[in-house]
Amino acid sequence: MTALQSQKLKPYLYVLPLILLLAFVFGYPLLRIFEFSFKLVRGIDGPWIGLRNYELILGQSLFWESVLHNIQLLLAIPAMVVISLLISILLYERITGWKLYRIIVFVPFVLAIPIIAVVMKRMFQFSGPVNEVLRWLSLDFLALDWIGSSDVALWTVMILIVWRESALGIILFLARLLSLDESMLEAARLEGANWWQRVWHIILPQMRGVIEFYVVVSVITILAAVFSYVYVVGGGRGGPGTATMVIEFYIFNALIRTSLPGIAAAASVLLFLVSVLLIFPMFRARRRVREEEA
Amino acid sequence: MSEIATQDRRRRARAQTALGDALKQGVLLIASFVALVPTFYMIMTALKSEEEYAIDKLGLPDAPILDNFRAVLVDSPFLAWMLNSFILVVGSVALSIVVSCLAAYAIARMEFKGRETLLALSTSLMAVPPVVMIVPLFVLYTQLDLISTYQGAIIIYAGLITPFSVYLLTTFFRTVPKELFESAKLDGAGDLLILWKIVLPLSLPALVTLVVVNSLYVWNDLLIAIIFLQEDAKRTLMAGISVFQGRYNNQVPLTMAGMVIASAPMFILYIAFQKHFIRGLMAGAIK
Amino acid sequence: MDSRRHLSRRDLLKTSAMLGAGSALSGLLPAFAAQAQDKTLDMWWWGEQELPGLQKFVDSSIAGYKEATVKPMLQDTAVVISQFQTAAAAGKAPDIQYLWNGVYHMESVWLGYLKGLKGLVSDDVLTASNPTALSRFGGDIYRVGWYPLPMFWCYNKTLFEKAGLDPEAPPATWDALLAACEKLKTAGIEPLGGGIQDGYWSEWYITHSLPQNLDTLGEAVELFIGEKDFRDPKYHEHWTKLAELKTRGYLNKDMSSLELYPGIDLVAAGKLAIGQSIGTRLPADSKATGGKIGYMTMPVFGKGKLAGVPVVDVQGLGISTNAEDPKTAAAFLEYLHSPERLKAFWDATGWIPSNKNFDTSVIADASVRGLWENWGLKPNISNVTNLVPGQFYERAAIPTGQQIVQGSMTGEQAGELASNTAKEWREFNPDMVENYRKWALDLSAPL
Repeated sequence: MTALQSQKLKPYLYVLPLILLLAFVFGYPLLRIFEFSFKLVRGIDGPWIGLRNYELILGQSLFWESVLHNIQLLLAIPAMVVISLLISILLYERITGWKLYRIIVFVPFVLAIPIIAVVMKRMFQFSGPVNEVLRWLSLDFLALDWIGSSDVALWTVMILIVWRESALGIILFLARLLSLDESMLEAARLEGANWWQRVWHIILPQMRGVIEFYVVVSVITILAAVFSYVYVVGGGRGGPGTATMVIEFYIFNALIRTSLPGIAAAASVLLFLVSVLLIFPMFRARRRVREEEA
Repeated sequence: MSEIATQDRRRRARAQTALGDALKQGVLLIASFVALVPTFYMIMTALKSEEEYAIDKLGLPDAPILDNFRAVLVDSPFLAWMLNSFILVVGSVALSIVVSCLAAYAIARMEFKGRETLLALSTSLMAVPPVVMIVPLFVLYTQLDLISTYQGAIIIYAGLITPFSVYLLTTFFRTVPKELFESAKLDGAGDLLILWKIVLPLSLPALVTLVVVNSLYVWNDLLIAIIFLQEDAKRTLMAGISVFQGRYNNQVPLTMAGMVIASAPMFILYIAFQKHFIRGLMAGAIK
Repeated sequence: MDSRRHLSRRDLLKTSAMLGAGSALSGLLPAFAAQAQDKTLDMWWWGEQELPGLQKFVDSSIAGYKEATVKPMLQDTAVVISQFQTAAAAGKAPDIQYLWNGVYHMESVWLGYLKGLKGLVSDDVLTASNPTALSRFGGDIYRVGWYPLPMFWCYNKTLFEKAGLDPEAPPATWDALLAACEKLKTAGIEPLGGGIQDGYWSEWYITHSLPQNLDTLGEAVELFIGEKDFRDPKYHEHWTKLAELKTRGYLNKDMSSLELYPGIDLVAAGKLAIGQSIGTRLPADSKATGGKIGYMTMPVFGKGKLAGVPVVDVQGLGISTNAEDPKTAAAFLEYLHSPERLKAFWDATGWIPSNKNFDTSVIADASVRGLWENWGLKPNISNVTNLVPGQFYERAAIPTGQQIVQGSMTGEQAGELASNTAKEWREFNPDMVENYRKWALDLSAPL
């Protein structure tokens, strides 16, 4: 082998481990779920049944209910953005004690979701501390059956998501704020612009990119990474009833609980396709953040 | 006259600022309270006896007891669960970093066909939900006898966290000045040596970020842990918690003691290294 | 140490004798014995989760067994079935597998993953262990019973007394139950319920109530394969009854946010009068209340032959078709049913092993002994929810109860949902319907 040839081969040697790893963990499974999704799988294989799995899924009310729940959870995002913006801007103004506040508001993100869910589940029990406080404040009408009622349980999950994921938003936004050019703010202040005006006209326009990025990341989280929240709060099965059933759980249930790997695979393919559609806005948002910073 | 008016305006402005500051402090205080309430509740409850909790769910414990902690540590293998989680974190984060450093170096610094495609492909995998992969991997792992093995789970975790690592490191490596490489090359250093001696030391912040973000991901995961580590002896902390809370769900103080113990490692790390933690996550989130 | 080895050697001989002369020799001749020790068995099991102490029993059994080396693995609750099925499909299943009753192992039978045990395990052990009717298919039996789960309605005798009810004569009919609940309610006591947040209360409710309008368990299977319909009032009357309890305000108010076991705790703690419970809980609950926990069958409303018959579910062990040496596996299962092991089971878990020959004189608690005599040793039926296909369980069996208890569903609507879900199951699992049809024959046959 000539030196030139080996020089040409070298880059491939460097990326080979990456290619192998990704092919194993992503490549092979993605190919197989497409195959499985066309089969009636029992155990580890089964007969070819064409599009039947997709037909069954798309005709099932439970599947659409799960989709709807995922969409409903997206309502958490505006709340997350507003909370994160407010807190991060206050921190950015270096209010007395901001360093301590910064450490504290990030605590929710340090606690693992299963731990939070276990704790919150106790707090939100019908005769638990949250309702006890509400009754003590004579707010009895607010003392709902947070985890026991089908009408409320999904909102409780949403509260948990907002509570924890906002911490990430705060840190993200704060990072962006700290890289802002302060002279414009100073100029506005000298011109007598009040707090709202400064936030609205100067800070927010510069944060468009990072907000957009956070929104896209949160959308992906809510579509594809709320398993841990739902697993603990929904009694391990997306309950009460099917009130907290989401797509991820639908797939988990089909695979593990109802012995329908083919159905699980077909639902996975659908979820995968939706996620792929979401990748593009994510990249665009990322690029914008970088351009803004540059 | 105008002097007085200016003074007046200033005074009013100062009063307004004072009011604004109080308001802002108020908002931050409330936010801190909300952020800390579950932690407070968890710790306070863990220090109560069953009887005291039944009567008083909210107040401070009258006579704090440590019995719950003792009971938890004696009855449940929390330390073994933590050890399992720890092994998985170390294994997968180390594997992922080695693989990503090599690949990111090649992508950032070498010319080869398919370079951009590889980066785009790898990065796009960040948005693939892990739940999508479990069906085929579960079948494959059963055939390969990899269910309930550390190495099996480590490979999956490493795979899941690597796309982000490659992306971050590539961006970072590209910012290392070209001149450094060229002078090193002239001195006769090979690529591996350059990577080890020059690029990595310069990329320390990025590496810290990766370690933090990826460790949190692996440590906190429940889905992969439940499905691929089914044997009791291999159970991770998060899977252990879901079993634990099911078994003791009627003894709230005991459950909370378990949760305090379970959250202690990350909490201590956070308090000890909070600067790196936050800086790492900021960088990780932005870049 | 020495005496223990001696003892187990003797038991070994006993079991070996059942297997026939050939293997009996191996216990006697050192050369053969050495060979026998090379045998290994993989055993995947579950149960420590519901019966603490089982681990101790498994460990001591394995340590005391000299015929083969047994490698146990305690499985996680969520994956007991899927893990076995996937492993079996890949040819990697363990020799011995823990099996829940009914469909939980019947699916594996239909897929060819489990061995029929007739002629493999001795008839004596097989019969005495009561694997129940739900383990029979095509004339063969697929499990050895391990430990029984008598299922019953429990009530707090102290609260009954407080409300002026006879603690020794719990309500036997539906009307008597309503009257009792009314009295309890008037006395300021929450009458009935438990915790349904994790769903199992729904399942248990069906266990007790659905058979009330059935003549055989095979009839339940017909509901799934479409020969009978949940929309027929007879087949959703049990849900209508639950709704009645709800509208009359007899269910405890935090029922929806509590889980199953904390709900039963309420009965033991004297905060709730009547609940649903299970045998494994009785020893502790009885002890904690000084014998003040009573048991009863669910008060009767239905007209089926199975109404008012006690329910006993049995957990069991089976042998996979992947087992290289099924005889060795069978010998180990027989060993677990040797008198010495049955006693060891009681010592380790404080609960009864599933064997008709178990010497009940060791049971000190009168309630526990009474329960075993009235449930375990008298005519009983198995748990009907073990016939329920997984998809129906998740989509209908659990949600119906939860929604009725919240007051957001009527009995009729529950029947509607159940009927639709059964139809959905048939569409998703065309290959299973035929198996269920055959199974119904075994289930309707007299024992």
